[in-house]
Amino acid sequence: MKNRLKVLRAERNWTQSDLAKALDVSRQTINAIENEKFDPSLPLAFRAAKIFALPIEQIFDDGE
Amino acid sequence: MNDTASTTLAQRNKASTKALFVWTLAWLLSLALLAFGPKLLWNFSVTISLAVIAVNLVFGYCMIITNKKYLDGLDELQRQLHMNAMAISLGVSVVFGAIYGLLEPARLLDSTPSPSNILFVMGISYFISLVINFRKYQ
Repeated sequence: MKNRLKVLRAERNWTQSDLAKALDVSRQTINAIENEKFDPSLPLAFRAAKIFALPIEQIFDDGE
Repeated sequence: MNDTASTTLAQRNKASTKALFVWTLAWLLSLALLAFGPKLLWNFSVTISLAVIAVNLVFGYCMIITNKKYLDGLDELQRQLHMNAMAISLGVSVVFGAIYGLLEPARLLDSTPSPSNILFVMGISYFISLVINFRKYQ
């Protein structure tokens, strides 16, 4: 699944570790999501949306 | 639900890994006691052997519950990696166990197959699979 995590993170000058801590996941998970190797669960996607104060669809795109 | 309010993922992982290590060690030591104790320590006393079996079962139960809590405390990618490793480990153990059990009847093995060898294969395949999976998502 395509996503804008990397861009949104860069806009805020956050490292992968910063975002991982905010989302309560490992840095490895953030890296895997950013590189589209792993799709986050709905609760994790909602947490990301809350942290970035954006609707989910502005962060994640299923490509359809 | 994880207790995310008061502790970080790393702190929870560290605590649950430590608990898992302690219970696994306790279970292994009680197993070793049961393996060597009857002959070396209490001269095959049935009462003592049954008591050690009971202790081993309690430690085993604690280890299983702690392992479940450990998995519950992981994040979703880590849980998926463990689940993949478990799937590989279970499959390898079934295939290996089935063949291994037939080696003696086929006269390809002199000794009686030991179940502990299947546990060894299970552990090794789980570990290798986990390392490969973790490296893939590094």
